[in-house]
Order: sequence, then structure tokens, then C-alpha cells
Amino acid sequence: MSQPLLRVLCVEDDDDIRRILRLSLEKIGRMSVELVADPTQAIDSMIASRPQLVMLDWMMPGIDGPALFRKMRENPDTRAMPVVFVTAKASQRELAELRALGAAGAISKPFAPKDLPDQLRAIWSALP
Amino acid sequence: MSQPEESEQAPATTIDANAVIAERVAHLYSQLPISVALTFVVGLLATYELWELELSRLVGIWWGFIVVVSAASAALYVAYRRADPGVANAKRWMRWLSVCVVATGVGWGLAAAVFFPLNSNEERVFLTLLLAGLTSVGIALFAASWPLFAGYAASIVVPFTYVLATSGTRLFAEIALVLPFFYMIMVGISHRLHHVLASGYRLRQSYRRLTEEHHALNLRIEDQIQELLDAQREIQASGRKLALFSERAPIAVFEMDANGTILDMNPAAETVFGHAASELVGRNLIRTLIPQGEHALDQDWWSEFAARRNPEAGIRARCVRRDGLEIVCEFSLTPLVNEAQDIVSVIAQCRDITQQIEAERVKKEFTSTLSHELRTPLTSIIGSLQLINTGMFGTLDQDAAELALVAERNAQRLLDLINDILDLERIDSGRLSLNAEDVALDELLQESVVLNRAYAERFGVRLKLSAEPLKVLVHADRRRLLQVLTNLISNAAKFSPEGGQVELSVSCTDARVQVLVEDRGPGIPQEFRSRIFGRFAQADSALTRKKGGTGLGLAICKRLIELMGGEIGYADREGGGTSFHFRLPAQAMPARVLH
Repeated sequence: MSQPLLRVLCVEDDDDIRRILRLSLEKIGRMSVELVADPTQAIDSMIASRPQLVMLDWMMPGIDGPALFRKMRENPDTRAMPVVFVTAKASQRELAELRALGAAGAISKPFAPKDLPDQLRAIWSALP
Repeated sequence: MSQPEESEQAPATTIDANAVIAERVAHLYSQLPISVALTFVVGLLATYELWELELSRLVGIWWGFIVVVSAASAALYVAYRRADPGVANAKRWMRWLSVCVVATGVGWGLAAAVFFPLNSNEERVFLTLLLAGLTSVGIALFAASWPLFAGYAASIVVPFTYVLATSGTRLFAEIALVLPFFYMIMVGISHRLHHVLASGYRLRQSYRRLTEEHHALNLRIEDQIQELLDAQREIQASGRKLALFSERAPIAVFEMDANGTILDMNPAAETVFGHAASELVGRNLIRTLIPQGEHALDQDWWSEFAARRNPEAGIRARCVRRDGLEIVCEFSLTPLVNEAQDIVSVIAQCRDITQQIEAERVKKEFTSTLSHELRTPLTSIIGSLQLINTGMFGTLDQDAAELALVAERNAQRLLDLINDILDLERIDSGRLSLNAEDVALDELLQESVVLNRAYAERFGVRLKLSAEPLKVLVHADRRRLLQVLTNLISNAAKFSPEGGQVELSVSCTDARVQVLVEDRGPGIPQEFRSRIFGRFAQADSALTRKKGGTGLGLAICKRLIELMGGEIGYADREGGGTSFHFRLPAQAMPARVLH
């Protein structure tokens, strides 16, 4: 992608991690971040704010990351958005399956906040 | 079966022929005493009657001859009895007998030739009767061998016929004319007797052989009956054993026919399914015990199984107990087929694995929860501390900054421990899937040196890669192999003295690549060596607290290397220190070795 990565939306149910994500991406990464705590509201927020990239937590109450990802694929407004999973438990096989479905990448939890913006940019620049 | 019988028969016929001769010889010898006695008595009588002054010398000589022949015959008889030769040398005994018998005949022939012409008619009649009698008695004595009789009779008849014919008396001349006819008739009769007796001998031989064979057959039948009885006892014993196995086994066992109808079942099957045997025997296992919609073991599956006739194992299916409770069972099904490949019966063994499955599920859920619930707060802790330690949100005073670093380092240690425990759990439950690919080992080694350099420098240790590592490919999971290398290098660095050096090298032998990680530390204590690859294995816990480490690293390394088809080990390094190694199958030989 030729454009720089500036707008990111994160779906994360844990308050503390949301706070760290904001500090990491805004202060270190100099990006604008929209944080969504309720995964059931996530698609509406995505359609409203049109982020360049979406970060999905894997395990969330109500609807988990992979299910939300599949819902995004079904919705024409969110279908094209690149998705990066943040996960503490996915096996290699599950990640491979999601990549096959079109996930842009995965970041394992716990992540290093000082490295997170660079990791995201690496995934972003590798996108076609 | 037929061939050995034929080969047995071939020598049997030759033995038969010899045996017939031996029988003949034995028969002839058995009559020899009569012949000797007759010759002696009649000879004595003739000597007495023919004794006259002018003939006394000739009669004396003749009597002497008869005595010698009789004595020789008697001696031969005694020798034969003593030797009891059986079949052996029958022909030789026959020759000696022929000599004696013909000599006897010659004796009587001499009597005819010498005494007949010299006597009056009265003595001539006496002689004629004696000779006729002796000749005809010869048939009874020697007919067992017609040539013997022919020789004996000829030695009497030929000289006698001659003296009769030349006696000048018409009556004697007429006897001389018929005597050859008598002779021929007698030889003819003896010839027939010879053959009749021969067939008798053969019959006796055959009978003897039949008896022997019959006896042998009886022995064989007795042996076979004994074998059958033994086999029966063994079958009964193993049957009892089998029944015991089935009765006392904790595993449910069913015997079914080809359609799946239950024929028999063991007590464990009653316990597992809550049905008495009497309720299930005669009913179809699948229709009775497997609920609708269980496709792992339904009628379609059974039809295919009955067509394939192959044993099946590890089939997990839901089953319904008599009380309506649903359980999960693991089935092993073994079809027993006859020679025509028809299923005689099917043995099904089955185990209630409901609790096992539940335990597996709970364990998996626990691991997954542990993983998530521990990592989520750790993400916040490590993340926050890292952000503080970047200094981007204001600087702390020196003590506070130091404490924040300590907190981050220990949070990281906790994370390492969780990761290691999860890794071990995944490996041990077989849920760790390796991403095997061709990995260039020299590049991976360089990468591991770069990644661990900073860590090693904390202990004042230098990492050194041997001058030019071999270019060689291994088929392995890149990430996991890097994990193993990191583990070995960090261990080596931890135990090296400050200012020390950790050396890495690669060598290749017999299609296997060996990686060495050598340190110059204090070596591995003797008492620790046996459990070095065990869980939570640490030689010195004080050192652990000082230098970190979970004590799971080597256990994980060993399992990972073994999963990749290799082996791991260690040895004391010459000149002090320890040398850890692992070996993996080489994917491609290094160019240097090829050329």
C-alpha cells in the first residue's frame, strides 16, 4: 500500500488493553485510533469511521474475533477492510485457516506496545 | 503322501524276493534231519542185506561214503540252526544243502550201479524197491526246490535206469523203459509243488508285512489319538482361559452374527449398557444400543464393514444405556471369517469413554482458559511497564526506573513460564502441529546468534559461530527450531563465566546434521544428569533466582527435536564446560561433501 497507515480501528473488550493500545498507536505510532469495546457494535463503527485497518481481539464475549471477521466478509461495506488478529491462543492451523479466508496477519498477545506500530506497518506495507 | 509310500515299496519287493528264498531254505533245512535219518537207516539196512564175503569190501566203502555224507549233512543242519541266518546268505545255505542232497543221491545211484549187477534177482528186487522208495520220498523232502529234487532223483534214476536196461532181464528192461517217465512225472510234480509252496511263502510274507504294517498303523493311530486328545485338552484350557478373559474383563465384549445380531455378551457388557444378557441376545446391536443419527456406527457403516471384512478399531459412537443415559463408547470390531470368506461372527469390544472424553474436554478448556485469562492481564502489565520504560511519558527517578525494569523483567519471566507450560501441554497431548519446511541451517544459526546476542551480553558472554557453518538443509519447523537454539544458547550463556564464550558449530555425518552449542561453564553436576531433560529441572535453584529460566526449556527442546525426527544430548567438553548437541536428518548434503 502506497498510503501511510494513519487510521486504525481496534475491537477489544478489555479496558486496560484498550488503554495500552491507544497509548501505543497514538503516542508511539502517531496514528488515529478508534476503540470499540462491544464487538456487536463493531461493524456499525467500521462503516461509520472507515478505518484503513481493523484489529480484532480473538476471544471476546458475545461474538469472538473469527466470527466477527466472517460477518465482516459477508457485509459489502466491510468486506475489503484488512484485518489483523490479536490473539493469545490461536494455533498455527487456525491462523493458517484465517489467512486463507483473507486475514492480513496476526499479532500474538501479549504484544510489545513499543513495537506494535511497526508490526502493524509491516503488515500494512505487505498488503497488495 | 503317495510318493513316500512308493519309495517305501520299491525296497520292500526286493526284501520280499530274498525273504521267499529264505523261507524256502528254512523249509528244506527243517526236513534235513528226516533225510539224514532215512539215509542212515536205509543205508544200514542195505549194508546188512548186501553184505557178502566177495562184496564186503565194496559194501564197506559204500557204507563209509553214506556215513560221511550223512555226517556232513547233519553237521550242515547243526551249523544252519546255530547261525539262524534269517534272510541273510540264504543262497549260500541253499548251495551247501544242494551239495549234501545231491551227494546223498549220488550215494544211492552208486548203490544201484555197483550192487545191482552183482546180485541175484531176489536182492535186485529188494534194491529196486529201496531205490524207488527213496526217490519218491525225495519229492516230499525236497519238493520245495524242484531243481534240488531233479538233481537228487537224477543221480539215482540215471545209473539205475542204465543198470536195469543192461541187466538182460526183460522185466527189468521194461522197468528201465518206464523209469524216465516216472522221473519226468515226479520232476513235474515237484515243479508244481515248488511253485505252490513259493506262492505259500509269498502269502506268508505278505501276511507278515500286512501284520507289521497293521501294527505300525495301529501305533500311528494311537499316536494321533493321543495328539487329538492333547489338542482337545489344550483347546479346552484355552477356551476356559478365553472365557475367563471375557468374563473378568472390564471391557464389554459382544459376539454378533454377520447382520449385527447379538449372539453372546460378557458381564462387563451388562454393566456398561445396563441390560441383562437375556434382554440383548437375539437383538441387533446397532438398532438397540446406538441412537438414531449416530453415523459413526449405523446400518450403512455396518453394511460396508460386513462387505470389507476388515477389523476396525477406535470407532467412537454415542450409545444409549437401558436407563436412557447417553454414553460415548469406543468400539473395536473384528470379523471372524471362514475359508469361504463368509463372516462366521463379529467380536465387538467396547469401552465406555464418556468420562475420558469429559476429562479431555475439561483439560483442553482449562488450558485454553489458563492461556487467555493469564495472558490478558499480562498483556496489560507488560504493556504498561514497557510504555513507562520507553520514557515517552515522563522520566522516573533512578530507583523507580529500576523497579519498573524489575517489574517488566519478572512479568516477562511469568509469561515465559506460561508459554513453556502451554508448549509442553500441547506437545504431550499431541496437539502441537509442526510447520515443517526446508530450513537452511547456517542462516538459522546466524539468526539465533543475532537474536540472543543481547541476552548473552547481559552475562558478559560472547556468542561465536564457527568459521564457516556448513550449508545444509533440514526439514523442520523453523520457528520451533529457533526456539530450541535460543534455549540452548541462553542456557549456555547463563552458565558461562563472565567474559566467557559460547561456540556454535554444525557438522554433518551419515545424512544427519549435528549442531553443537558449547560453553565453558562449570559443567553439569553428576546428581542432576539423570533428570536434566525432565520438567522443572534445575540444578541450582539459587542460580535460577539470580539468572532466570523456567526449568522447562530442555524438556521442551527434547520433545521438539524428537518431533522433528532427531535426538538431543550433551557431553562434557574437553577443557571444561558442557557441549549440548542435537541431530536432525539432513535434507540435502552440503556442497562440500558432494564434490
